[in-house]
Amino acid sequence: MALSRRTLLAGGLAVGAGLTSGCAGKSLDTLLTQAAHVPRTPATLTWWVSEIPSRGGPVVADLIIRAFQRRHPQIRVRKSNALSTTDANRAAVTTQLAGASPTPDVYLGDTIWPAQFGANSLALPLQKLLPKDFWEGYPPALRRVSEYRGAVYALPFFTDSAFLFYRKDLLAKHGLPVPRTWEELLRTSRRIQRAGDAAYGFLWQGNVSESLTCNVTEFLADADAPVLDHSGGVALNGPGAERAFALMREFTETGVTPATVTTYVEADSQDAFTGGRGVFLRNWSYAWANAADRSVSKIAGRVGVAPRPGFAGGGPPGVSCAGGWSNFVNPNSHNLGAAVAFARFCAGEEAQMILLKNAGVIPALQEVLTRPEARKIGDPTLTMAHTLRLVARPVQTPYYSQVSKALYTQANAVTGGRTSPDGAVRAARADIRTALEGRAL
Amino acid sequence: MNAVTSSATVSREPAPEPAGPRNEPGPHRGGPARASRRRRARTGWLFASPALLTIGAVTVFPVLFSVLLSFADVRLEYGGFSFRSLTGDHYAAVLSSPEWRQALAFTFGFTVVTVVLELVLGTAAALVLDRLGAARGWVLAVLLLPWALINVVAAQLWGYLFNGTYGGLTWFFEQLLGHQPDILGQPASAMGAMVVVDVWKTTPFVAIVVLAGLMLIPDDVYEAAEIDGAGAWTTFWKVTLPQLRPIMAIAVLFRILQAFGIFDLPFVLTQGGPGTATQSLAILGYKTLFQNLEIGRGAAVATSTAVIVIGCCLLFLRLFKAQADEGGRG
Amino acid sequence: MSRRAPASGIRRYLNVVNLGGLAIVVLSTLPLYWMLASSFKGPGEISAAPPTLAPTSPTLGNYAEAFVRNGIGRYLLNSVLVASVSTAVVLGLSFFAGYALARTPLRGRGPLMTVLLMLSVFPPIALVVPLFLLERQVGLLNSYAGLIVPYVALNLPFAIWIMRNYLVGIPHELEEAATVDGAGPLRIVLTVIAPLARPGLFTAGIFTFTATWAEFLLALTFNSEDGHRTVPVGIALFTSQYTVPYGTLFAGAVAATLPIGVLVLIFRRSIVSGMTSGAVKG
Repeated sequence: MALSRRTLLAGGLAVGAGLTSGCAGKSLDTLLTQAAHVPRTPATLTWWVSEIPSRGGPVVADLIIRAFQRRHPQIRVRKSNALSTTDANRAAVTTQLAGASPTPDVYLGDTIWPAQFGANSLALPLQKLLPKDFWEGYPPALRRVSEYRGAVYALPFFTDSAFLFYRKDLLAKHGLPVPRTWEELLRTSRRIQRAGDAAYGFLWQGNVSESLTCNVTEFLADADAPVLDHSGGVALNGPGAERAFALMREFTETGVTPATVTTYVEADSQDAFTGGRGVFLRNWSYAWANAADRSVSKIAGRVGVAPRPGFAGGGPPGVSCAGGWSNFVNPNSHNLGAAVAFARFCAGEEAQMILLKNAGVIPALQEVLTRPEARKIGDPTLTMAHTLRLVARPVQTPYYSQVSKALYTQANAVTGGRTSPDGAVRAARADIRTALEGRAL
Repeated sequence: MNAVTSSATVSREPAPEPAGPRNEPGPHRGGPARASRRRRARTGWLFASPALLTIGAVTVFPVLFSVLLSFADVRLEYGGFSFRSLTGDHYAAVLSSPEWRQALAFTFGFTVVTVVLELVLGTAAALVLDRLGAARGWVLAVLLLPWALINVVAAQLWGYLFNGTYGGLTWFFEQLLGHQPDILGQPASAMGAMVVVDVWKTTPFVAIVVLAGLMLIPDDVYEAAEIDGAGAWTTFWKVTLPQLRPIMAIAVLFRILQAFGIFDLPFVLTQGGPGTATQSLAILGYKTLFQNLEIGRGAAVATSTAVIVIGCCLLFLRLFKAQADEGGRG
Repeated sequence: MSRRAPASGIRRYLNVVNLGGLAIVVLSTLPLYWMLASSFKGPGEISAAPPTLAPTSPTLGNYAEAFVRNGIGRYLLNSVLVASVSTAVVLGLSFFAGYALARTPLRGRGPLMTVLLMLSVFPPIALVVPLFLLERQVGLLNSYAGLIVPYVALNLPFAIWIMRNYLVGIPHELEEAATVDGAGPLRIVLTVIAPLARPGLFTAGIFTFTATWAEFLLALTFNSEDGHRTVPVGIALFTSQYTVPYGTLFAGAVAATLPIGVLVLIFRRSIVSGMTSGAVKG
């Protein structure tokens, strides 16, 4: 019986393997040789791309595609519209990649994906195809998140940085400066709230999702508390981590942040802020444009933007989680050469200038941010971007998803008052260790 | 496998043998009768095979593949899956995980509560519809609307109503309670909200299945009850309910299946939060598969879920049959 | 609440049944009203706190956004096509299979019904990847058939169960009479059984249609090109990374629900008669 069962299983495995192996066992070297050459014969690429926030003008992806096709007339690029919600996007694209589909050839993905996708062979390692000085023009934090075990799995496209948005009018009315520490922000908020000028002080994102992990990463960096150490082990521990977790609790306990923050994603916090219910908002750079849009925002023209505060006696303000989207190359693409050429084009100066002028995002190439065109746009998040201290989430492990889940689950519990700060740090530490050992679900 | 046979008897009559002429069954079957019976069986297979082949062609491979993945040390490599060896590690990891147990508890509780509520409310709605006069068409049409709403959209709509800042229901409860409630942010109220939305969305399913069953009850049964002088309540318990039993069983069975697979609602409303309070087994499986890219483990979550649901269904069918037999005797 | 209790007097309309009907209508429509009203609210009003009960300055902007900029019309057409073809095929196949399981001496009906049930138990999330592999091998990705085939297969078990349950209850006399007249099995099924099976067909049809209309996960992964995408995916495409455009979302949802709502309202008489006329009442 056991024998027949085993035979059956083996047969099933063979059938499964037969179905799945379009070109299984392809060596990486063959793939890289193909990828090194831009084809001279006509080729069609599919680019999996979610909506790139635009400044109200033409569709940004189309502009990039047109510019690329002018340079490479023999290559056609077709746009495949991806969902913009990261999780649904990941489900759709990983199904295609795991199914060894040759399309999409290039896909735009979150900067938290490279290690995991690289470890699972869902992205082509590109470092051998790049010049030595390739990374010089990009933020170091972006390079760190794009690499896994010395291999580069994603090429930069645009970044996202977090800022503190504030109500200029309310601070002026009370004669208060823009806070540079969290302690100051708490005092300022309470004073304005007591005066009845705003329902809440500080709005941020506390929902059980990656949004909260970004917030936690920043609070931890403010307190100078790392999540992982240099060898990739768990480092989350001690008074620094507890201080960061205690701050999140203090926000809700004092009413500076509404209790419902535990359900907030970016959109909720932004809606509350533009509805005039808060004094301060932690959000990504695009919130500037939305807060200034009179059709959406009740407080248009009364908003200022500053670097995020730090802790009193801690490091300087201006910590920001390194967010953003990069281009990945599908290793099963039939047009590897063209795909790499396109991904490199998107990281290059011409495409980055298109982003600067038309998109509501921060181009990854640092140099374009210092151009006169950047000032002309009048978006302070663009000109302030290179002054920020970008911190990477602990993505250099293929188990990052599980690590992130451990962080956001415990941070959500602290914020909602269901555990104590030190209890949450202990629990998160234990969960992260389980995750790193590959035992977490 | 005794339970298997019970599923076949989830039918209106205890054990109908509709084949062939009435006088056919008997200890001494004649040759022509047997030939006719064989011919009818062949017709049966002919009629059933297109459906069975379609189901088989589409679902058998994926189900077996998933079950295999749950036992395989599988990696993703350039070009697709690569199977290394067979292993039980995935199940060991899943079954020993506190998160899995919590997800199982939530899913089980959610299933029991929603199925019971929907059965009661759905039957009530069906009884109302059965007795409504001219308005029946309108009410039926309106009842169908929540069911027709796309799941993801329905979840978004309720998410909007529960929104902590500008949600209509949040505002309503704020007026009622005097403080702003954090409906989706606290475990108990988030679970309650999930039940409310599911009941709103799915009660029509039960109501319509039951209503169609009510239509099949012959009038003379009621007339007999009336002649006996039975009151409305007695008639319902003694006449209507026993007649509805088989159709209710189907409704409950498929509701158990759907409720156990609950995904869209928590995915949109709470993402499984606060903490992991509303993380259903399907959400856990989704996160394991698509966020963690743990294919074997995700398949193990899915397969173990399927086994548990099958267990529940067979248990239900068996209980149902036992009760039906008892009812028949009484 | 007796079935034939003569309703009389001034409380004629104030009975349990009518109040129940009223409750059904109110509870079903209130959230939907909120959705409809919100779909006409401008971007500022839709996130106003406290919320407004009706749009203060109604706008069609959300609908313009949904139809013109996001092209939901195309997704609607795709959905109508996929859902109606799937439903038609499911009804055809399940009717014959249900008949076979209910009224012919098939061996192993019990186990067969259980296997059907078990196949429909498997969580769809686990089927997505292997189904994708299968469809890629057969070349069904990015086509209508790529959705219709799995939709038919996944919705058949429930439809067969429903059909079988209905067909079991039909008296044998009619069928026997037709057999005596010399009609073949196919003709009997089509002329004698099918008309009687209308309530079952109707119930199974409604459920198949709404299930295929709303399906999200397979539609998301199998059709990555806009030309073949269906409404649920199209609406999900509205949501951007950082904002939930509830106005556009609800406009799209109204557009996706309206066709079904209108159909149901137009055919409400035949729906009721469809459910009753076939029924075998003594």
